[in-house]
Amino acid sequence: MTLWLMAGLLFTPLAWAVLTLLVDFRKGRVVTWLGILVQVLVSLALWAAVASDGGFYYFLGGWQAPLGIELRVDGLAVTFVLLTALVAAACGWHASVYLDPGKSWHRYFWPLFWFLWAGLNVVWLGGDLFNLYVGLELISLAAVGLVALGGQAAALRAAIRYLMAALLGSLAYLLGVALIYGQFGTLSLADVTALLSDGTVAAGQTFPLVLMLFGLALKTALFPMHGWLPPAHGIAKSPVSALLSALVVKASFYIAARLWLDLGGHLGGYELAQLIGVLGGLAVIWGSWLAFRQTKLKQVVAYSSVAQIGYLFLLFPLTWGVTDAISLQAQQGITLQVISHALAKAAMFLAAGNLIMSVGSNRVDALAGVSRFLPFSLFSFGLAGVSLMGLPPTGGFAAKWLLLQASLASGQWWWLGVLLAGGLLSAAYVFRVYQASFIDNTDTDHFFHPPKSLEVIPLILALLSLGLGLVAEPVLSVMALPFEGSSR
Amino acid sequence: MRVLSVVTMTAVCLAFAGLLGLAVWHIAGSPAPVNLPGLLAENLDASGVEHPITAVLLNFRSYDTLLEIGVLVIAGIAGISMAKTTSLEDPDLRTSDSLLYALQRWFVPLMLVLAGYLLWAGSDRPGGAFQAGAVLAASGVMMRLGGIPMDFLRPGVLLRLGLALGFTVFLLVAVASALAGEVFLAYPAGFAKPLILVIETVLTFSIAMVLLALFVSAPVNRAQEPEEGEHE
Repeated sequence: MTLWLMAGLLFTPLAWAVLTLLVDFRKGRVVTWLGILVQVLVSLALWAAVASDGGFYYFLGGWQAPLGIELRVDGLAVTFVLLTALVAAACGWHASVYLDPGKSWHRYFWPLFWFLWAGLNVVWLGGDLFNLYVGLELISLAAVGLVALGGQAAALRAAIRYLMAALLGSLAYLLGVALIYGQFGTLSLADVTALLSDGTVAAGQTFPLVLMLFGLALKTALFPMHGWLPPAHGIAKSPVSALLSALVVKASFYIAARLWLDLGGHLGGYELAQLIGVLGGLAVIWGSWLAFRQTKLKQVVAYSSVAQIGYLFLLFPLTWGVTDAISLQAQQGITLQVISHALAKAAMFLAAGNLIMSVGSNRVDALAGVSRFLPFSLFSFGLAGVSLMGLPPTGGFAAKWLLLQASLASGQWWWLGVLLAGGLLSAAYVFRVYQASFIDNTDTDHFFHPPKSLEVIPLILALLSLGLGLVAEPVLSVMALPFEGSSR
Repeated sequence: MRVLSVVTMTAVCLAFAGLLGLAVWHIAGSPAPVNLPGLLAENLDASGVEHPITAVLLNFRSYDTLLEIGVLVIAGIAGISMAKTTSLEDPDLRTSDSLLYALQRWFVPLMLVLAGYLLWAGSDRPGGAFQAGAVLAASGVMMRLGGIPMDFLRPGVLLRLGLALGFTVFLLVAVASALAGEVFLAYPAGFAKPLILVIETVLTFSIAMVLLALFVSAPVNRAQEPEEGEHE
């Protein structure tokens, strides 16, 4: 059964990419709805299978590592597969209503969308360093194509800038992989970890790990390498921005986190961990401040992503040289942060798209009076904002609470300041949008009303992000499942 | 200020090169604990082809290759999505140079034969779909630069079919084994060689189409879409 589920999970997005390439936007939309249904069901079934029977390794082509490629199907991976299915389904559904079918270039949205989904699953399941690189390439190129889709000079400029940053990041990562292969003779992450832990290979140098982490941090837009993100995420169509902020930047972070948790203990160091943490902390403060200063609505949301990504990098100092219990707490906090940010930010971008569509302007001050006309989208925006601020009972709160406990327990009290300041600053930029929308401006009474389905989708995502704090326990218990990897 | 940035960049590059050199030196001094080339040689007979690189690309690590073809298709899609005219033919690029034309009549058939040879050679010596596809695409590029009308390259369904053909066949082979209860991408015993040959052949064609479409479609861009919230 799991064999078929795995084949379905790998096959569906790739097959649908081809199918939608051959038809126009309208037919592609119908085909995509069917594909979304299949992929969500398969992801759910796989998640349930792993939740009941535990994780396993899947050997592609029947060749075991190191000769072949292995996929690591564990609790964390299937949780992210399921998260991707949820968020991508919402964004795909939104896009099918939001995008104008009359524009000929929108037909290319669907194949790129499906390739992006395929690439994300490759990364969540990847257990092979080079295969992860291929997954990153799939994601980056599909994302760049989506940003550039039908755009004017500004969109092309943003897309090219994004492409350059993504390529530099990929190359740095690839160089690190080549050095690791030279040293260990294998590309399987599990094998490298095993060789390091049983002492067959002296740990030696940090340089390959630093190279890979640099490349991945660039692709995740860690401060001060975040310059490419706001233009790209701001100028893309809203469903695309939602996909990029919710999922794409998480993929490179996920690889960095896996590398750190497996190899960081042997190849990393206290200074490296603290340096990455400090950059993350600066990203939280600087990104939130810039989000507060933006005049365009989607730029506010995009800079907010820079800030929220910063929290993720607290994983590095909070898991280095601490006891297993503290490390687990930090990992759980970061995982919850990834999930809650994915849901909240997707909701926020989709709601922002609706707001822009209804007032016909992308500026924050143009929202004056919108609260009377579009309360649902504004409400979703606010709910998502509550999760970003980290107020209870949201997923953002649960995440930050775990991080706070981990910082205190490991004696790294200085991260408290980051958590507090980040929450306050995000409250500031969310309330600024609200303030603009509540100004009763009697001059403008011309509003476009988006279809109801466009308003429902961000609301569902925002409610999920809100409710995540209440179901954090069962979600985390699946991720902490024992992994049946010893019999491999 | 400018001097300062040049000096900084040089210092960064030198430091990077130094660290890289050190890392390579360190690796060269100690043999790798896993002997992957040896393992590859032991399993080469089971792969269906005689050349180790083709065996790795199309059998042992065929998943990577499948996804890499996906990356090429994405690049092709992104390229043709920029073209908003019905034909990718650009009349400005046509020439009527009779010398070029005469040369092409000699070169194009030769290059086609070379592409076919490279494809076949892949089974037991360096060669294969990527090289053959590149040669095929190069002959297309030459034909276009030489002014041979290539109106068949429209962003229509035929071009898209051509882009996706190699990927589709590869994907169908991958899922056929999974339907039979095997893992994804496992070739049935005894069929490895013919299946690899079929995949390589259609891949050659699609790789050439992607590269050619990228070259041809690049500068054609007229209609545009305004940013959300801005007026057309």
